[in-house]
Amino acid sequence: MPDEEVLEEGVLSPVQPEIQDPLLKSILAENAAPEAPTELEKALEIPVPADEVDCVVIGTGAGGAPLLARLAMAGLKVVALEAGPWHDPKKDFATDEKAQEFLFWNDERLSAGQDPVAFGKNNSGTGVGGSTLHYTAYTPRPQPDDLHLRRDFGVGQDWPFGYEELEPYFEELEQFLGISGPTPYPWGPGRKKGYPLAPLPLNGAAQLMRRACEKLGIQTSPAANAALSARYYQEGVGWREACTNRGFCQAGCSTGAKASMDVTFLPLATAHGAEIRPGSYVTEIERDDTGRVTGVVYLQNGQEQRQRCRHLFLCAGAIETPRLLLLNELALSSGHVGRNFMAHPGVQVFGTFEEAVRPFKGIPGALISEDTHRPKDADFAGGYLLQSIGIMPVTFAGQVARGRGFWGPQLRDYMQQYNHVAGINILGDCLPHADNFLELAEEKDARGLPKPRIHFTNQENERRMSAHAEKLMRRIWEAAGATDIWSFPRNAHVIGTARMGLSGDDAVVDANGRAFDVPNLYICDNSVFPSALSVNPALTIMALSLRTADKFLAGLK
Amino acid sequence: MPDSPYPAGSVRALLLTDAVTPATRAALEARLSTPPYEPQFFDAETYALLRAVAARLFPQPDRPEPIELVPAVDQRLLAGGSDGWRYDALPPDREAFRLGLGGFRQSAQATFGQDFLTLTPAQQDAVLHAVQIGQAPGEAWTTVPAARFFEELLAELTETYYSHPLAQEEIGYAGMADAPGWTRIGLNQKEDREPGQLVNG
Repeated sequence: MPDEEVLEEGVLSPVQPEIQDPLLKSILAENAAPEAPTELEKALEIPVPADEVDCVVIGTGAGGAPLLARLAMAGLKVVALEAGPWHDPKKDFATDEKAQEFLFWNDERLSAGQDPVAFGKNNSGTGVGGSTLHYTAYTPRPQPDDLHLRRDFGVGQDWPFGYEELEPYFEELEQFLGISGPTPYPWGPGRKKGYPLAPLPLNGAAQLMRRACEKLGIQTSPAANAALSARYYQEGVGWREACTNRGFCQAGCSTGAKASMDVTFLPLATAHGAEIRPGSYVTEIERDDTGRVTGVVYLQNGQEQRQRCRHLFLCAGAIETPRLLLLNELALSSGHVGRNFMAHPGVQVFGTFEEAVRPFKGIPGALISEDTHRPKDADFAGGYLLQSIGIMPVTFAGQVARGRGFWGPQLRDYMQQYNHVAGINILGDCLPHADNFLELAEEKDARGLPKPRIHFTNQENERRMSAHAEKLMRRIWEAAGATDIWSFPRNAHVIGTARMGLSGDDAVVDANGRAFDVPNLYICDNSVFPSALSVNPALTIMALSLRTADKFLAGLK
Repeated sequence: MPDSPYPAGSVRALLLTDAVTPATRAALEARLSTPPYEPQFFDAETYALLRAVAARLFPQPDRPEPIELVPAVDQRLLAGGSDGWRYDALPPDREAFRLGLGGFRQSAQATFGQDFLTLTPAQQDAVLHAVQIGQAPGEAWTTVPAARFFEELLAELTETYYSHPLAQEEIGYAGMADAPGWTRIGLNQKEDREPGQLVNG
């Protein structure tokens, strides 16, 4: 249990990196000069299109926000373009699933293949903060061997660097965001620092899973989660209040307890001079005749705007990032843009319990087990983790309709047991496969741009893993006393469509996140993951974001 | 179908309290007041057919005024709204609905030689079931995969139904009353403001 002292110690202090590069120094000096006009004047000023900034960042989610803050803190003039609006969660967010649908990227995507992937509420986001506005804030670290599946199993793709490259960023993020979690963490390598806050409380589903896993000899632990279990001082923001167990993480946190980007990195970025432009939908990436990016064109309130920049950071997520590259015929020489699409096997198993669970309370996934990270009896490569799940009623009802096919009295009868339902799900690794990719469809969206079509079919490895997991989860729920156990197959998170690697022959960006084809284009979001990892991706996206910024800044020297 | 195990009136009562935030109250109250609705996307005949289908997917003999599920579909199609994705196998939503609802008509005619609206409830259910498992007769189903269309339609109506405050009351959901936060979140725990299950309910 951290006391006040430990808590204060956990607060990240901004360090101004010492600037040695003459070019960067001159850029900084240039930018520093007109800094004097008051903040107020600046905010009201309509940006002059001809102005060139150091960096434009497209997207303000887990990929864009941390690097935006880092670049601004290094003194660069940075502008973030966010397609969605800027919300005031305390005022605007309702505790109502339907009313919160504005958080999702609702431009239609076409889902093809044998296992079409759901988007909208499942795998997308819009608004200042991106999909962190509705992420569940699960923040487990990947384990070191997640990064070298090919070395260990001869399948998939290895990351171009090892865990040790990401480790310092995980630590920094855990302290900065105020992640709640168990110390020591039972799985993976030892850590220099524990989580800054104690774990969040276990809800009914978590208690049931713990009880059953104890019987079966499966180790469990309260999960790491980026919602605050106690008040926490957020640099650039002030005090953030503790989570009130609303359980509504996936439809928007109205209290600021969840570390979405809009209450963490983005205010930090703006405090250091970054400008965020909401409602800015990028359509074109402009280049000069040497192939360098010179700026972007975006739609804002129906008007075309141009923003010139010296460097571009594309952080729009694993669908919109490759879509923008394909629309602009940019960075395509590897042939890998849009390919290697991966989605975590995320099969859920639900059961009905005699006890009242009231599954809408508390963080949905309060309990975790990584005992299945590399199962001894596995007939597949890689592994998965187990998480308990609470669930909101509309989401649950939709899944019952789709997954069980219930309707009529049968559906209403079953739904009357909602308060007695609890779930478990997995999050498992996924291998890239030639059949799984994104392309531009002939069908156009409202703006006249081609819709993305995403082909996805779980392959042998994913199918075996899901079968292994479903069997185990059914055993767990039986041991917990569940009746009417059923499973809902699904894939969660979208990954890999502009992957990083050592060579431009089979990767879009290098190990630093820079496009092989375009010297001043960086990509940072889940699209650059070479492999899917067997954990929720947000923490790793943020770690990559900070690392990408550091590599870029080092490159300016 | 058994009566709801939870007391009637609990959500309406909660909406009057400070336990519900203004944004949440606004969203839920808008669904409680439903003026009569005239279809704007569908023609009257197709709208009546869709209402008949919805009445079998969500029969509500227990409610003096059933929760209307179809206006939301009509409004969404009129506005061209999307939930962010679509099965690639299905045509665009407006076309899918025109063709798919035509498919219900064709299946009813092919199976029972009658219009869907004049079938008995059991016959209507038989048509719906055949569509759900992708074995319904009718030319429309050669362009619209029946099972996928049924799944989409059912999911949309289901999400509309359980977004309604009275349907949430029916299943004992009190999550909207979260302004004070929840402290009793474990097994068999509830706050005083949460409705309990009626004994022998």
